[in-house]
Amino acid sequence: MLTKLLIICRYTFVEIYKSKVLINVFLVGLALLLICYVAYSFTYAVPERIALDVGLGMLSLSSVGLAIFFGVGLISKEIENRTIYMILSRPISRRIFFLGRILGMIGILILNISILSTLTILTYVVLGGVLNKLIFIAIIFSIIESIIILLIAVLFSLITNITLSTIYTIVIFISGHALTDTLTNRFATSNVFFNSLLKTGSYIFPNLSKLNLKDYVLYNQMLPIPTLAWMFSYGVLYSIFLIVIIVVIFDRKNLD
Amino acid sequence: MINFIEISKKFKTDFWSKSFYALNGVAFKVSEGEITGFLGANGAGKTTLIKILMGFIFATSGSIEFDEKLGKNRREIFSKIGLLPERPYFYPYLTGREFVYYLGSLNDVKKSDLEERLIYWSKRMGIVDALDRKLKTYSKGMLQRLGLITTIIHEPKLVILDEPLSGLDPIGRKELKDAIVEINKKGSTVFFSSHIVPDVEEICKNVVFLEKGKLLYNGPIDDIIEKNVKPSYIIKYFNGTEVVRVEVQNKDKEKLIQDLLVDSNNKILTVEKFKVSLEEIFYKIRT
Repeated sequence: MLTKLLIICRYTFVEIYKSKVLINVFLVGLALLLICYVAYSFTYAVPERIALDVGLGMLSLSSVGLAIFFGVGLISKEIENRTIYMILSRPISRRIFFLGRILGMIGILILNISILSTLTILTYVVLGGVLNKLIFIAIIFSIIESIIILLIAVLFSLITNITLSTIYTIVIFISGHALTDTLTNRFATSNVFFNSLLKTGSYIFPNLSKLNLKDYVLYNQMLPIPTLAWMFSYGVLYSIFLIVIIVVIFDRKNLD
Repeated sequence: MINFIEISKKFKTDFWSKSFYALNGVAFKVSEGEITGFLGANGAGKTTLIKILMGFIFATSGSIEFDEKLGKNRREIFSKIGLLPERPYFYPYLTGREFVYYLGSLNDVKKSDLEERLIYWSKRMGIVDALDRKLKTYSKGMLQRLGLITTIIHEPKLVILDEPLSGLDPIGRKELKDAIVEINKKGSTVFFSSHIVPDVEEICKNVVFLEKGKLLYNGPIDDIIEKNVKPSYIIKYFNGTEVVRVEVQNKDKEKLIQDLLVDSNNKILTVEKFKVSLEEIFYKIRT
């Protein structure tokens, strides 16, 4: 089974890679360098921090963008175009097919983030920045964040159409980043109903601000290892939770 | 090889609408070693039944039994089945070779066997020169041929083809029909869905006819023709001035021939049994 999982993963990766997805990386990389150059020319203080800020932000946004736009079609387009029939008519279970597709797409996300983070770190170092461990941890957390968004996009695509899946995933992404801050808002703390609504939401929706270490990286604030381990575990467990839900739905779905 | 037991499938077009039966108590068997045609107009329920057979959708009621020769569990059974779905879409950025390797490797076919079979079939289908081109550059006919190659690359015992000839030109149709016959001669049972009756009549021994989700006929093509053919003959003769065509009942045939032979001006040209095509029979059954 593992061999077949890896075969599906490999060809999913090759198929997406050959669809010129890396043009996205090239364009984002170019924009990153351009913004860093502009920032370098106009700031007198800390251009390397601006490079890091912009770089981490862009790699996160670009990988989340890829996760959403490829995620909504990763399984649903296979069903719509009947390609899935040619694969599931072989000795392959639906869950192996799903996991193979997801792993292949995660490979693309990791490739995208690796190229952009290399570019970001190089720019940061060239502009005089000093490397620390938290930069690399922040990059790993960006990968986890994009995996969660990918899984949410796939989940929605199994229960609704591609357009709505895209919209819903973007809403979840924004909510996931805004929930923590909104909970501390005076209106939210003073209004019992709104507060309980937000708290319920925070248990269901992914708390993506937990995976955002950019502020700590920029101000060189190292987080304690247990905190980082908890954040990492949260991301991984939430991903597993989504995978289980998707497998349950996909196993019972009529593929027509 | 496959036994469909009272398969029914209900669909709803939307939440508020009344459900309708796409398949209603369909029961028949597909015999081993033969090409069985699966006929029906568009929307008759052919593709729905194939989807249920493959487990892509679930039947509302009924069940399907596979011959034990195919295997005991899903994994064993599906490793001996090859399916070509209707109008499949292929990954546009993979090459033909990559696509065949991808699907072949999912069936645990060794790379050397894959290569050997791919070369044989791609030569046979006339697409060997296009194997290293991206699939987005393939024509519809080439994609259909490649689809058939991926379907049989693991030498399945049961080949299921859903409308494999639709949209092909006459040459493409002939080549694919010849290939289907060859696949069958090599030992595979073929279950071949089509809405084009002459195609089925040309290559199949048995036929299953579905109409609006219900089974209308299941059995040998020869039997249904025999049952529906008129017991009459067409006699053509030249009476000295023109060619005359007469249809006579079987019992009157001998007498008419004797009468014609009495007149020395008459010259009998042909005496043929009245023939009717499968297509005509199915139009008749439907109405």
